Amino acid sequence: MSLPLIGVDLVPISRVGELLDPGIGPLLRKYLSAEELTVSRTPDGAPDQARIAGRLAAKEAVFKLLGAVGRPVPWQGIEVLRGPGGRPGIRLSGRAAELARDAGLGPIDVSISHDAGFAIAVATSSSALPATSPDHPHSQQSATPKGMP
Amino acid sequence: MSSAGIDKVRDWILGRHPERTELAADVDLIESRLVDSLAFVELVYTIEDAAGVEIDFDNIDIEDFQTLATIEKAFFA
Repeated sequence: MSLPLIGVDLVPISRVGELLDPGIGPLLRKYLSAEELTVSRTPDGAPDQARIAGRLAAKEAVFKLLGAVGRPVPWQGIEVLRGPGGRPGIRLSGRAAELARDAGLGPIDVSISHDAGFAIAVATSSSALPATSPDHPHSQQSATPKGMP
Repeated sequence: MSSAGIDKVRDWILGRHPERTELAADVDLIESRLVDSLAFVELVYTIEDAAGVEIDFDNIDIEDFQTLATIEKAFFA
Protein backbone atom coordinates (compact mmCIF):
# COMPACT_ATOMS: atom_id res chain seq x y z
CA MET A 1 0.00 0.00 0.00
CA SER A 2 1.42 3.40 -0.90
CA LEU A 3 1.68 6.01 1.82
CA PRO A 4 0.71 9.61 1.01
CA LEU A 5 3.38 12.25 1.55
CA ILE A 6 3.08 16.01 1.91
CA GLY A 7 5.57 18.86 2.08
CA VAL A 8 4.97 22.57 2.63
CA ASP A 9 7.14 25.69 2.62
CA LEU A 10 6.77 29.43 2.99
CA VAL A 11 9.08 32.09 1.50
CA PRO A 12 8.84 35.83 2.20
CA ILE A 13 8.80 37.64 -1.14
CA SER A 14 11.25 40.14 0.38
CA ARG A 15 13.90 37.38 0.37
CA VAL A 16 13.78 37.40 -3.42
CA GLY A 17 14.45 41.13 -3.38
CA GLU A 18 17.60 40.41 -1.37
CA LEU A 19 18.69 37.75 -3.87
CA LEU A 20 18.24 40.21 -6.72
CA ASP A 21 20.55 42.73 -5.05
CA PRO A 22 23.29 43.38 -7.62
CA GLY A 23 25.77 43.67 -4.73
CA ILE A 24 25.69 39.92 -4.14
CA GLY A 25 26.08 38.88 -7.75
CA PRO A 26 24.03 36.64 -10.00
CA LEU A 27 22.93 34.49 -7.07
CA LEU A 28 19.48 33.70 -8.42
CA ARG A 29 21.10 31.42 -11.02
CA LYS A 30 22.16 29.15 -8.16
CA TYR A 31 18.50 28.57 -7.27
CA LEU A 32 16.73 28.64 -10.63
CA SER A 33 17.53 26.97 -13.95
CA ALA A 34 17.69 28.98 -17.16
CA GLU A 35 14.21 27.73 -18.09
CA GLU A 36 12.80 28.70 -14.70
CA LEU A 37 14.34 32.15 -14.97
CA THR A 38 12.70 32.59 -18.36
CA VAL A 39 9.21 31.83 -17.03
CA SER A 40 9.72 33.94 -13.88
CA ARG A 41 9.51 37.31 -15.56
CA THR A 42 6.81 39.94 -15.74
CA PRO A 43 5.42 40.90 -19.17
CA ASP A 44 7.93 43.75 -19.33
CA GLY A 45 10.83 41.37 -18.69
CA ALA A 46 11.60 42.21 -15.08
CA PRO A 47 12.06 39.43 -12.48
CA ASP A 48 8.66 38.49 -11.07
CA GLN A 49 9.48 38.35 -7.36
CA ALA A 50 6.22 36.69 -6.32
CA ARG A 51 6.61 33.94 -8.92
CA ILE A 52 10.24 33.41 -7.97
CA ALA A 53 9.33 33.15 -4.29
CA GLY A 54 6.62 30.66 -5.21
CA ARG A 55 9.11 28.54 -7.15
CA LEU A 56 11.58 28.58 -4.25
CA ALA A 57 8.83 27.55 -1.84
CA ALA A 58 7.76 24.76 -4.21
CA LYS A 59 11.31 23.45 -4.48
CA GLU A 60 11.59 23.24 -0.70
CA ALA A 61 8.16 21.65 -0.42
CA VAL A 62 9.19 18.98 -2.95
CA PHE A 63 12.50 18.50 -1.16
CA LYS A 64 10.58 17.64 2.00
CA LEU A 65 9.01 14.72 0.17
CA LEU A 66 12.44 13.23 -0.42
CA GLY A 67 13.25 12.61 3.23
CA ALA A 68 16.80 13.93 2.82
CA VAL A 69 17.03 15.53 6.24
CA GLY A 70 20.27 17.39 6.90
CA ARG A 71 21.31 17.66 3.27
CA PRO A 72 21.41 20.84 1.19
CA VAL A 73 18.42 21.48 -1.05
CA PRO A 74 19.38 20.52 -4.65
CA TRP A 75 17.90 23.72 -6.03
CA GLN A 76 18.88 23.11 -9.65
CA GLY A 77 17.73 19.50 -9.56
CA ILE A 78 14.14 20.40 -8.65
CA GLU A 79 12.68 22.52 -11.44
CA VAL A 80 9.26 24.09 -11.13
CA LEU A 81 7.97 24.72 -14.63
CA ARG A 82 4.64 25.36 -16.31
CA GLY A 83 2.66 22.15 -16.46
CA PRO A 84 -0.53 21.24 -18.34
CA GLY A 85 -3.39 23.65 -17.76
CA GLY A 86 -1.11 26.20 -16.16
CA ARG A 87 -0.49 24.10 -13.08
CA PRO A 88 3.10 23.88 -11.85
CA GLY A 89 4.98 20.91 -13.26
CA ILE A 90 7.96 19.35 -11.48
CA ARG A 91 11.06 18.05 -13.26
CA LEU A 92 13.68 16.25 -11.18
CA SER A 93 17.27 15.64 -12.24
CA GLY A 94 20.62 14.68 -10.75
CA ARG A 95 20.70 14.07 -7.00
CA ALA A 96 17.05 15.07 -6.55
CA ALA A 97 15.98 12.40 -9.06
CA GLU A 98 18.15 9.83 -7.32
CA LEU A 99 16.64 10.68 -3.94
CA ALA A 100 13.12 10.40 -5.37
CA ARG A 101 13.93 7.05 -6.92
CA ASP A 102 15.47 5.75 -3.69
CA ALA A 103 12.39 6.90 -1.77
CA GLY A 104 10.06 5.14 -4.21
CA LEU A 105 8.17 8.36 -4.94
CA GLY A 106 5.27 8.40 -7.35
CA PRO A 107 4.15 11.45 -9.37
CA ILE A 108 4.54 14.79 -7.57
CA ASP A 109 1.85 17.45 -7.54
CA VAL A 110 2.42 21.02 -6.37
CA SER A 111 0.19 23.96 -5.58
CA ILE A 112 1.54 27.50 -5.12
CA SER A 113 -0.07 30.67 -3.82
CA HIS A 114 1.18 34.11 -2.87
CA ASP A 115 -0.36 36.97 -0.93
CA ALA A 116 0.48 39.53 1.75
CA GLY A 117 4.20 39.36 1.10
CA PHE A 118 4.54 35.58 1.25
CA ALA A 119 4.57 32.67 -1.17
CA ILE A 120 3.46 29.25 0.00
CA ALA A 121 3.68 25.90 -1.72
CA VAL A 122 2.38 22.44 -0.95
CA ALA A 123 3.76 19.32 -2.60
CA THR A 124 2.19 15.88 -2.48
CA SER A 125 3.22 12.45 -3.61
CA SER A 126 3.21 8.89 -2.35
CA SER A 127 5.86 6.32 -1.63
CA ALA A 128 5.65 2.77 -2.84
CA LEU A 129 7.99 1.72 -0.02
CA PRO A 130 6.50 0.38 3.21
CA ALA A 131 6.47 2.97 6.02
CA THR A 132 8.65 0.61 8.03
CA SER A 133 11.34 0.47 5.33
CA PRO A 134 14.57 2.26 6.28
CA ASP A 135 14.49 3.77 2.79
CA HIS A 136 11.04 5.26 3.24
CA PRO A 137 11.42 9.04 3.02
CA HIS A 138 9.76 9.63 6.36
CA SER A 139 10.96 6.60 8.25
CA GLN A 140 13.25 8.56 10.56
CA GLN A 141 10.86 11.24 11.73
CA SER A 142 7.30 11.48 12.83
CA ALA A 143 6.58 14.75 11.03
CA THR A 144 7.34 16.12 7.60
CA PRO A 145 11.02 16.94 7.71
CA LYS A 146 12.35 20.42 7.32
CA GLY A 147 14.95 20.58 4.60
CA MET A 148 18.48 21.62 5.24
CA PRO A 149 18.78 23.07 7.76
CA MET B 1 44.04 34.25 15.39
CA SER B 2 41.39 33.90 12.70
CA SER B 3 42.02 34.56 9.03
CA ALA B 4 40.61 37.50 7.14
CA GLY B 5 38.56 35.06 5.10
CA ILE B 6 36.68 33.55 8.01
CA ASP B 7 36.20 37.06 9.44
CA LYS B 8 34.41 37.93 6.20
CA VAL B 9 32.12 34.91 6.62
CA ARG B 10 31.46 35.82 10.27
CA ASP B 11 30.68 39.42 9.30
CA TRP B 12 28.23 38.21 6.64
CA ILE B 13 26.36 36.05 9.16
CA LEU B 14 26.31 38.80 11.80
CA GLY B 15 25.13 41.25 9.15
CA ARG B 16 22.07 39.07 8.63
CA HIS B 17 21.38 38.93 12.36
CA PRO B 18 21.71 42.43 13.79
CA GLU B 19 20.43 41.17 17.14
CA ARG B 20 23.78 39.40 17.59
CA THR B 21 27.09 41.14 18.21
CA GLU B 22 29.36 38.11 18.24
CA LEU B 23 29.50 34.57 16.94
CA ALA B 24 31.66 31.92 18.55
CA ALA B 25 33.55 29.50 16.32
CA ASP B 26 31.72 26.46 17.68
CA VAL B 27 28.12 27.66 17.27
CA ASP B 28 26.16 25.31 15.01
CA LEU B 29 25.01 27.66 12.24
CA ILE B 30 22.33 25.30 10.99
CA GLU B 31 20.83 24.02 14.24
CA SER B 32 20.70 27.58 15.58
CA ARG B 33 18.95 28.62 12.36
CA LEU B 34 21.46 31.39 11.73
CA VAL B 35 21.67 29.92 8.21
CA ASP B 36 18.50 28.49 6.68
CA SER B 37 18.21 26.57 3.43
CA LEU B 38 17.83 29.69 1.28
CA ALA B 39 20.69 31.45 3.05
CA PHE B 40 22.88 28.35 2.75
CA VAL B 41 23.43 29.12 -0.94
CA GLU B 42 24.44 32.66 0.01
CA LEU B 43 26.81 31.24 2.64
CA VAL B 44 28.46 29.05 0.00
CA TYR B 45 28.73 32.06 -2.31
CA THR B 46 30.29 34.14 0.50
CA ILE B 47 32.85 31.43 1.23
CA GLU B 48 33.67 31.09 -2.48
CA ASP B 49 34.23 34.84 -2.67
CA ALA B 50 36.32 35.01 0.52
CA ALA B 51 38.41 31.91 -0.19
CA GLY B 52 38.77 32.40 -3.95
CA VAL B 53 37.59 28.85 -4.63
CA GLU B 54 34.68 27.28 -6.45
CA ILE B 55 32.53 24.90 -4.40
CA ASP B 56 30.71 22.04 -6.12
CA PHE B 57 27.23 22.43 -4.65
CA ASP B 58 26.22 18.91 -5.69
CA ASN B 59 29.02 17.31 -3.70
CA ILE B 60 28.94 19.41 -0.57
CA ASP B 61 29.80 17.79 2.76
CA ILE B 62 27.40 19.51 5.13
CA GLU B 63 29.81 18.90 8.04
CA ASP B 64 32.18 21.44 6.49
CA PHE B 65 29.56 24.15 6.90
CA GLN B 66 28.34 23.37 10.41
CA THR B 67 30.33 26.01 12.35
CA LEU B 68 32.81 28.80 11.68
CA ALA B 69 35.52 26.43 12.95
CA THR B 70 34.66 23.72 10.41
CA ILE B 71 34.37 26.31 7.61
CA GLU B 72 37.79 27.71 8.51
CA LYS B 73 39.33 24.25 8.59
CA ALA B 74 37.79 23.26 5.25
CA PHE B 75 38.34 26.44 3.26
CA PHE B 76 40.77 28.81 4.98
CA ALA B 77 43.38 26.57 6.63
